[in-house]
Amino acid sequence: MKVTIKSWTGVATWRWVANDDNCGICRMAFDGCCPDCKLPGDDCPLVWGQCSHCFHIHCIMKWLNSQQVNHQCPMCRQDWKFKE
Amino acid sequence: MATKKKPSSDQGSSSSALDSSRWEVSCFWERRLQKELMSLMKEPPPGVTVDAEGAGQNLTQWIIQMDGAQGTLYEGEQFQLQFKFSPKYPFDSPEVTFIGPNIPVHPHVYSNGHICLSILTEDWSPALSVQSVCLSIVSMLSSCKEKKRPPDNSFYVKTCNKNPKKTKWWYHDDSV
Repeated sequence: MKVTIKSWTGVATWRWVANDDNCGICRMAFDGCCPDCKLPGDDCPLVWGQCSHCFHIHCIMKWLNSQQVNHQCPMCRQDWKFKE
Repeated sequence: MATKKKPSSDQGSSSSALDSSRWEVSCFWERRLQKELMSLMKEPPPGVTVDAEGAGQNLTQWIIQMDGAQGTLYEGEQFQLQFKFSPKYPFDSPEVTFIGPNIPVHPHVYSNGHICLSILTEDWSPALSVQSVCLSIVSMLSSCKEKKRPPDNSFYVKTCNKNPKKTKWWYHDDSV
């Protein structure tokens, strides 16, 4: 039997590989976006701290910018440093 | 279906404009508070009940009923907590006070309902929530060994601001 493929459509899924389902700041799903964004994915990326906790970048930046003195991880209160 | 007739070329953009206005109305703090309200209604911690109707009507102010935990000095008592949220929530802590006829007699609770609890001011984190604040308050009450007011109660109540977040609290006692 000989099969000829006349056309095909590729389908892919993606998800962030994070240690949690939801952002601890906005409580939205990591596979969704923060409340200020409309499209999940590269427009609303996740960032990790050296403490291994992760957040939407927009959420953690809002928190860090709201803090005058200490910049701590909202989850573990360690000094927040972005993981390279 | 929309009642107003629009040129057909405009239909695509008008529906997306509708979507974007919906997103703008429901901003950061509202969306998070709506999520918290849903989860507090579905799975409330023991002894904690939120007035969902009131909170649903005005998301910025919630009333929470709290029962004194069994086996503690506050067993059988009922308290009311008021949470007020600013549009900066969860980056700004909620204003939390006891209200109503029964203010718990506790070394960290002033007779005007103000609570001396560090997570409500300088130790606030946006990862905390209404639920975790309620749990902290239940456990603060539960660990109490002797019902008494803070030593500076009468002076504080006479001189403090109405908003407990304006008080410069000294957190020095971690035992209760």
